[in-house]
Amino acid sequence: MTPHAPLRVVLVDDHRMFRTGVRTELAEVAPVGGLDIVGEAADVEAAVAVIRRVEPDVVLLDVHLPGGAGRGGVDVITGCAGVEALNGEPVRFLALSVSDAADDVIAVIRAGARGYVTKSISAVDLLTATRRVADGDAVFSPRLAGFVLDAFGAAAGEVAEVDEELDRLSAREREVMRLIARGYQYKEVAKELFISVKTVETHVSSVLRKLQLSSRHELTAWAMGRRLI
Amino acid sequence: MATPYARPSTDTLVPGPRFVRPREGRVLGGVCIGLGEHLGVPVRVVRIVVVVLTVLGGSGAVAYAFLWALAPAESAGMVGVPAARAYAGAVPPARPVTEETTARDRSAALLVLGAFVAAAGGLLALQRSGVDVHAGTLVPLVAIVGGALLAWSQLGEAQRTRWVAGSVGDRRMGVARVVAGLLLSVVGIVVLVTRGRSLAALWDAGLATLAVLAGAALVATPWIVRMWGDLRAEQVAAARATERADIAAHLHDSVLQTLALIQRRADNPTAVAQLARAQERELRSWLYDAPSGEGDSLGASLTAVAHDVEDDNGVPVDLVVTGDRPMNGSGTALVRAFREAVLNAVRHGSPPVTAYAEIGPSGVEVYVRDHGPGFSLDDVPPDRLGVRESILGRMDRAGGSARIRRLDQGTEVALTLAPSEGAPS
Repeated sequence: MTPHAPLRVVLVDDHRMFRTGVRTELAEVAPVGGLDIVGEAADVEAAVAVIRRVEPDVVLLDVHLPGGAGRGGVDVITGCAGVEALNGEPVRFLALSVSDAADDVIAVIRAGARGYVTKSISAVDLLTATRRVADGDAVFSPRLAGFVLDAFGAAAGEVAEVDEELDRLSAREREVMRLIARGYQYKEVAKELFISVKTVETHVSSVLRKLQLSSRHELTAWAMGRRLI
Repeated sequence: MATPYARPSTDTLVPGPRFVRPREGRVLGGVCIGLGEHLGVPVRVVRIVVVVLTVLGGSGAVAYAFLWALAPAESAGMVGVPAARAYAGAVPPARPVTEETTARDRSAALLVLGAFVAAAGGLLALQRSGVDVHAGTLVPLVAIVGGALLAWSQLGEAQRTRWVAGSVGDRRMGVARVVAGLLLSVVGIVVLVTRGRSLAALWDAGLATLAVLAGAALVATPWIVRMWGDLRAEQVAAARATERADIAAHLHDSVLQTLALIQRRADNPTAVAQLARAQERELRSWLYDAPSGEGDSLGASLTAVAHDVEDDNGVPVDLVVTGDRPMNGSGTALVRAFREAVLNAVRHGSPPVTAYAEIGPSGVEVYVRDHGPGFSLDDVPPDRLGVRESILGRMDRAGGSARIRRLDQGTEVALTLAPSEGAPS
């Protein structure tokens, strides 16, 4: 990741007003040459075409979109499988939605999105989240962390014996998720747990991987709600 | 439309009141009233004509019987045909289907009746011209057709709906009628087949009857399947219309009202943000079935508190709840302490205010966090009871604990209840 090249972002949302708003807000908070919105799309077909053409670093993706097979953002992610950004990294998706319904969230994450934030997020936080996703890390909102804790039974005290176990969180991952659910930033989590921010990011990415691969009943049920399996 | 029945031609869609047998004011089967209303003729005239025709050769009685079998009884939903038409104007998508079905039913009924009369006329003509038509053949034929008519005519649109959705009594009545009609037909067929033969030939007759029944079933199956399909389609359409009306009503009551308020208070950004936030939350809970803040569970109560504080102060409170359990005494204390903590965060801290509640077998943990300058309990003068009493003291008395932490940015209040709390011991 070269810090000098501006982050190339594609904005996919079927509401023009919302696209304009995000574009303006990001332009206000991003340093000059830091972020470049290189494309916009309002439906699944247009989004896949634009992403394949401009090969951006990050796609800010609405979960509910017209077109495709009717699965919205999930269709965009599957339609862009294998597309790489200019620097050779895979194109990363950050889901951006008004809906915080569990099945929407889980479906788009399992399809391959690196994070999930709601549209009420502040511009500064959105910029941070976009950067984080571009670096290949995961972005968890407090609400997504809450879902994860619920879905893996971590809130009920289930903890994985070994870290590699896919159906449960490890004790450390659970701690990280709980702190994120409490509204802590990554660096605050790191300070609280006496670990580095990089380690926090590793834990979060590991949770994201479990979220995408686990066959826990709750997760598969949610994903099936969006006809993902 | 003071006298809708007097001028039936004004309505081009439905050329007169539907021929039904009213439940009220009937002498025998309500046929004369229905016929009178249908034709726009006074009931008395109809009755006199029927009686006279009955005395002179009995054709009046026959006609009465046929009309009785043909016309469905008036159902509760059909009382007042004009009202139904007014409804048709208000909700276009649902009603035309029904009107169409009704018209089709009636035209089909007339067709069958016409065919029957034509057949009778044809038979008479044959007899006149010298061909020998046994009266013994005629009677079973009449029985068959009459039975079929009886069964068929009861399958009006209103009845079909009632069969599926109606009470058990209605359904039983309708089934009884159809069964009676079918029995009549079967008896007619058997008599027709066995006529003039010995009992030994009854076996053949039985076979023939079976063959006829099988044939009839074969012929009727597509029709029954189609009828069932029509019924399902109607039900789906009605459900869709209801859902659409429900959504429209909800949007009107909530979203449109809020938008109007927002326009009127456009010069006050705080108020607008507050309105938008409250509306968003309400719509979200309606769309996604999120916790509405109503109910007896601990999670719902915490959600309600967060919503209240948010509404009263205009500061968003992001609450994430995992797990849940029913309310109890210590839960109530926890909810009150939580309200106090959120109020403090909203008033003295700065946004974003986030809260996290973890309700599990290992107890309940609730965190409230703001991003203000932060405060420590030592800075609070001892005579200020807000935090000490309503958060710390309250949690102590409920058998739990409260802890206030100053972070680099902001303050976090942690409320905990032990797991044994809540299980009645």
